[in-house]
Amino acid sequence: MTNQTTIMQNGGRVNPLLKLFMLILTISGILIYPSWRLSSILLVIVILLFPISGASLNLSRNRTKFIIIFSLLLFIFQILVTVNGTVLGFIIPQLNNFGPFLPITDFGIERGLAIASRFLLVVLSSMLFVAITDPTLLAHSLTRLKIPYRYSFALVIALRFLPLFDSENQIVRMAQKSRGIQPEVGGLRKILRTIQYTFFPLLVSSLSRVEALSISMDGRGFGYSENRTYFRKSNWKISDTLIAFGGLGFILLCSMLALGYLPLLSTII
Amino acid sequence: MLESRDISFSYDGKTEILRSVNIQIRQGEVVLLTGPTGSGKSTLAKCLSGFIPRSIDGNFSGEIKIDGENTGDYSIAEISRLVSLVQQDPDSQICTLKVVDEVAFGPENYEFSYEIIEKLTKSSLLAVDALHLHNRNTHTLSGGEKQKLAIASMLSCEPKYLILDEPSASLDPKGVLLLRRILTELKDKNVGVLCIEHNLDTIRPIANRILSISNGAITDWTPTAEQSISSITQTLIPDTPLLTLEGVNFSYGSIQVIHDTSLTIHQGEIIALMGENGSGKTTLVSLLGGLLDPDNGRVDFGRVAISDIDRKEIVKRISVVFQNPNHQIFERTVWKEQILSSEILGEVHEKSVERSTHLLNSANLGNFLDRNPFSLSHGQKRMLNITSSIAHFPKILLLDEPFIGQDQEGREFISNIITETASANGAVLVVTHNPNFAKNYCNRVIFVENGSILLDGSPEIVLHRLEDIGHTEYSEMEAPS
Repeated sequence: MTNQTTIMQNGGRVNPLLKLFMLILTISGILIYPSWRLSSILLVIVILLFPISGASLNLSRNRTKFIIIFSLLLFIFQILVTVNGTVLGFIIPQLNNFGPFLPITDFGIERGLAIASRFLLVVLSSMLFVAITDPTLLAHSLTRLKIPYRYSFALVIALRFLPLFDSENQIVRMAQKSRGIQPEVGGLRKILRTIQYTFFPLLVSSLSRVEALSISMDGRGFGYSENRTYFRKSNWKISDTLIAFGGLGFILLCSMLALGYLPLLSTII
Repeated sequence: MLESRDISFSYDGKTEILRSVNIQIRQGEVVLLTGPTGSGKSTLAKCLSGFIPRSIDGNFSGEIKIDGENTGDYSIAEISRLVSLVQQDPDSQICTLKVVDEVAFGPENYEFSYEIIEKLTKSSLLAVDALHLHNRNTHTLSGGEKQKLAIASMLSCEPKYLILDEPSASLDPKGVLLLRRILTELKDKNVGVLCIEHNLDTIRPIANRILSISNGAITDWTPTAEQSISSITQTLIPDTPLLTLEGVNFSYGSIQVIHDTSLTIHQGEIIALMGENGSGKTTLVSLLGGLLDPDNGRVDFGRVAISDIDRKEIVKRISVVFQNPNHQIFERTVWKEQILSSEILGEVHEKSVERSTHLLNSANLGNFLDRNPFSLSHGQKRMLNITSSIAHFPKILLLDEPFIGQDQEGREFISNIITETASANGAVLVVTHNPNFAKNYCNRVIFVENGSILLDGSPEIVLHRLEDIGHTEYSEMEAPS
């Protein structure tokens, strides 16, 4: 143990508020101008940002696998249901008098790509945001927007207690198992009993925590003054302002593309 | 001096929890307060720290003085600058996501400058030997680490008086020795400490005074001999295996917590399962009870794999009691809760009803049959957990730290249940940090370290061996004979 240990105060180069702002702008941009080319470009940028920011996009994890499979299904589904456009081929080709069925059209592929890339972009950019944002710093930054710290702290407390409820839920299930309580679904009475046996212990445990938590927070001066100081906080730098302007420029570009003011550019993206 | 003058309090206006209580805590002294469960210890702590009557409703009378000044007009924030309260459950008190944020929380609220917050955060973490944890996420800490954090986050507010409600409950012997050191250092810094404890041995060596609270009034504590029930199984040579683990591994996600563990529980054994916080004791109990499935290896009941036995058959034979009583109470009245297992097993008959009534009476719960079990005190809930798990005479009892929050009467009741079960050709495994219990009641001690069994043998040999290999904290925790 050493006295020389330095306590890390700030995390990340970009202000967490700006990260939130950029996430909202990215998603708004592709909703305003839903082009598959634009969302694909943004998707590539987001995927590249994962290794750059040190976050891991673990493809072997079940969650990531599910997201990719779901986007592929969205793509295929759009191809199947879109019949207008230039026909490029058929999923079931003509065999003598049988077929052809299920045409693949260029418009169908475009729509499929647009929906799948938009879905991937929304999910992956949100995952990136969560992975690289310190929620405490985000909550502290919210007070800059004149949000009272009592409300911004609600975010921190919710995130603090989520893993706790998760582990408590598992313990309650084990306790049920040890008493021989098995989930029953036959009839309303049995369903109500199953709900009671799960939610009673969880609810009581949560309520007992509320009192302890409020005593613990009040006992350390929470609400003592209208303001509070922050040991760990993120500063707003010039680079943050530049990125924010870049984001606003992006939205302006998307709006002009959507309104048809940039016909030449809209043929490219 | 922090003092109460003639304070009385009742939550419902009828039952007085405190009756004209007078207590004084001087700066630079450690006062130890003990008393049976439900005697008003925690209520007194909340009165002294100002939460009663400010944020907890009830009928309050009397006055609290700090350094001669009546605090009647003080706000909670004003009192908490002077008096801090560390409550029982450390998990519920942590309100931020990172250790450093938690310790800085108080000073931030009091609008201290950055430099002062940094100094206080460092010194408070250092005082509890936890500076290395500063960047950790709070939810990943072990029970003992959370307790240290709860204390550090109060120390950073620099109170003149500190009240700790059962601080040693979730600590292993190493943690208890550290707690003694922390409290001694606080004494040296002229902080007045009131420590509420059931287990007097933990803090007694450093306490200046010991007080006792009973029936809402405080008296000087006088030692009473704790009756030691001589274990009839001490001389028994066990040979009939009841429950066996063979080459068991277990992981939570990617973290392996049990490594290639084998052990057999025999008829007549009372086993103390010991080990530091986070060593895998609770996971072992869950594996033995068939509540978790091992990654590989076997868990056998008799000669049959536990996974092949019907759940109800396991419930009939093995009872598991977990640490937190709130997680294992399911019914709306004490009586319904008591007979729940018998109902599920289809064994509600005259004999089982008689047994349940007898158990509740001996646990002093006989008068609360229609009460909501959640309204009982922590210690009473623990008793109900145990009585409701043993009404159907299970052969094997697996108890996870059953003595936490128990007064002497409760400890004796649970110890009796343990010896009765073992002498009826059953077996009991008790997770405990208490070497005295291991010596007085158990015929075998298993010591776990980092998910593996380090030592397994008779209590004398294991405790002696622990000392040899550097775990001197266990012998330091033993009561002087």
